[in-house]
Amino acid sequence: MSASVLRVSDLAVGLHLPGREPRMLLDNVSLDLGKGEVLGLVGESGSGKSLFCRALVRLLPSENIRITEGRIMLGDRDLAKATEAEMLGVRGGRVGMIFQNPTSHLDPVMTIGDQLIEGIRYHQKLDGGAARREALAIARQVGFTEPERQLDSYAHEFSGGMRQRAMIGVALSCNPEILVADEPTTALDVTIQAQILQLLLDIRSERGLSIILITHDLGIVAQTCDRIAVMREGRIVEQGKKRDLLRSPAHSYTKALIGSHPSMPISAGEMTATPPSKAAATDKPLLEVEEVNVRFAGAGNLFGGRSGAVHAVADVSLKIMPGETVGIVGESGSGKSTLARAVLGLTPIASGNVTFDGTSLRHDRVAFLTRLRREAAMVFQDPYNALNPRLAIGQMLAEVLKVQARTPPDQIPTRVCELLDLVDLGHEFAGRRPRSMSGGQCQRAGIARALAVEPRLIIADESTAALDVTIQAQILDLFRVLKRKMNLTLLFIAHDLAIVRNLCDRVVVMRGGHIVEQGGSAQVFEHPADPYTQALIRAIPDIDPDKPLLPQAAREIA
Amino acid sequence: MHRYKFVLYRPIQLLPVLFGISVVTFVLVRLIPGDPARVLLGARATPTAIANIRRQYGLDEPMWLQYFYFVKNLLSGEMGKSILYKIDVLKLIITRIEPTLVLVLASVTLSVLIAVPMAALAARNHGRFADHAVRIISTAGIGFPPFWLGLMLIILFSVTLGMFPVSGYGETLGEKIAHLVLPSVTIALSLSTVLTRSLRAAMVEGLRSDVATAARARGMPERVVFWRHVVPNSMVPTINLLAINIGWLIGGTVVIESVFAIPGIGQLLVRAIFSRDYMVVQGVAMMLACATVLINLIADIVTVAADPRVKL
Repeated sequence: MSASVLRVSDLAVGLHLPGREPRMLLDNVSLDLGKGEVLGLVGESGSGKSLFCRALVRLLPSENIRITEGRIMLGDRDLAKATEAEMLGVRGGRVGMIFQNPTSHLDPVMTIGDQLIEGIRYHQKLDGGAARREALAIARQVGFTEPERQLDSYAHEFSGGMRQRAMIGVALSCNPEILVADEPTTALDVTIQAQILQLLLDIRSERGLSIILITHDLGIVAQTCDRIAVMREGRIVEQGKKRDLLRSPAHSYTKALIGSHPSMPISAGEMTATPPSKAAATDKPLLEVEEVNVRFAGAGNLFGGRSGAVHAVADVSLKIMPGETVGIVGESGSGKSTLARAVLGLTPIASGNVTFDGTSLRHDRVAFLTRLRREAAMVFQDPYNALNPRLAIGQMLAEVLKVQARTPPDQIPTRVCELLDLVDLGHEFAGRRPRSMSGGQCQRAGIARALAVEPRLIIADESTAALDVTIQAQILDLFRVLKRKMNLTLLFIAHDLAIVRNLCDRVVVMRGGHIVEQGGSAQVFEHPADPYTQALIRAIPDIDPDKPLLPQAAREIA
Repeated sequence: MHRYKFVLYRPIQLLPVLFGISVVTFVLVRLIPGDPARVLLGARATPTAIANIRRQYGLDEPMWLQYFYFVKNLLSGEMGKSILYKIDVLKLIITRIEPTLVLVLASVTLSVLIAVPMAALAARNHGRFADHAVRIISTAGIGFPPFWLGLMLIILFSVTLGMFPVSGYGETLGEKIAHLVLPSVTIALSLSTVLTRSLRAAMVEGLRSDVATAARARGMPERVVFWRHVVPNSMVPTINLLAINIGWLIGGTVVIESVFAIPGIGQLLVRAIFSRDYMVVQGVAMMLACATVLINLIADIVTVAADPRVKL
């Protein structure tokens, strides 16, 4: 790697509240970025990796957070000491940033073209026709298919992947040398993620950019980066060349990160701990879905008739045996969540039938829903929003137990403690509110609430999608243990195939409302029959850098 | 252009509104004790004279028949005849509409011109002195009733300083403007406080938004971040607030026109109610209903133009 373009040495950033000891948020961070290099900055939420990037361009989130020490050398200029006027030229013009959520970072009331032209005018000093031509060139470079038309579109008219392309384009419009990408693909489907990562690599080689890629997913780093730095609690715990670091991590935290990556094969011990359920052929399925169809009416108005109805779930049939764990995977819009809602009676089905332990939705809707609501429970994606912020965890569990009326009132406190034990939360959590708890703890509380009804079926809708990898691994472990202990039947909905692979006995792959493939986990993942499943599996960023991502496959199905 | 299609069918929604308004005002004015003929002719009028007037204006017919004629006239574009002024209600409204229209337009423009800089000043100095000052002023402003504010302005600028006429409306353009300055300022001061508070809140939020962060990360100076990215995004919620307030304002001109003795719609309405001039009250009410619907339609058009995400 040639000379460094950015050299950070001993950077310290502290929170200075009046009348209090300053608290160090970043401590002694030293990092070099070579020209044309892709540096992966890995860490979990709260590790300080986003703060580090904002400190680079001195856009700290509050006036109380200040750089206290260290140097940020961009060429021969120290950004830690540069004037605010100099920083205006550096931000965007030399260091560009792209963010996790393009929807909130793109201006919703300005066309994409105008946002591109704004950067071109400021940093490249082009105007009028020349600026427009440059904007078109950038739009083409980031993969707009009809740049002429798309420049006049607004962000909300784009899909998630296109929005991220637009945001990369807006960053490029300032013509930077360094691109800082903060979790650029976390909100995207795997196949789109593969495309965006490939796009970043392409513009790196076309423009000679250096990239700092922040992510929590070691798989992404393994696939795209040259060098890796691991961050934890405001410090770099380890950095080095990608292969060296992945092959022989020195720090225990790095080892834990690598071990909890979902693409790692689970150990043999765990495998025997969760034997694929041997449901006898004579067993009746606990949940049976027969040729269910769900349609949503298209938006209509007084004069314009109904524009095409959306067929969200089409002829889906599914059997889930007692004690079985079934994963439904698919990208956003595949109908997997709609199917779950339809099964729970939350969305009306157009045709077909759902049977829960012999009670049919078709024949006796009321009885079906009553049974389902007593014997099935749901665990949601966002652990914070799914819990009532005003109730302590103990109160929340007690409320469920009271409504359920199976536990005598005097035994409710004991039962609450039992539930907390089940999800590995200490008894003191009974008195705590969601706000004072971490995401993982909230999700455990959410699972405890689901268990409070003593369900026979748990439907988990993207229950680990919002969590950090190590926490994700813990929650998945918890599901495994609970399954074994309580003979739970689990319907696990996820967009992350690796998670499903590790947890589920059977996998159902959905696309566009249809089931494209279903079968045993091992079989589907080892020998996928359907081309879509094959492409999906190939798009998972594997932690092994020698198993390259295949964006071509992703493009085929996009 | 399909986003603007609502402009075509919105007038259809006006029909049930107008029907409701016509029934309510028709019944309400007749519920006020007192007889228009007696008010017109005075306390010592003979029963025969009163009966004559009542017959002349159709007031001796049964209620339902009067309503039927009222609607029938409306459909043929007439609002009946004023008992007091003896001319067609529509013509009467037209002669009185100018001062009201100018007053409303001037005060709305003025209040936007006050509110935007005030809110911008406060938001860009969030938590500092200018912000607190603006917040105190605008909170205090909500507390001052417009009629009191109007009287204070008259005492200060007309009586003491002699800069503006005390009341009334002029003949020439210069006179008209001079007469409308104080009433417009009175309304604008009240209206701008509400707008300032709403705009300031939206701008403070906008300055903290991801859009602003992203613009700063592209090296945009704070001035550009604010005026090009934050302000357009903050306008949207305030547009509807403004529309609601203009609707309220049209009713509010009754008070201001009385304070400043401006011969506008508000004053016409007050006098019509006191003299039980049924036709005029009905006509003005119908007109105000139409104006309110129209203003909301304009607000919707502006919203759709300002925010490409909105579909109506």
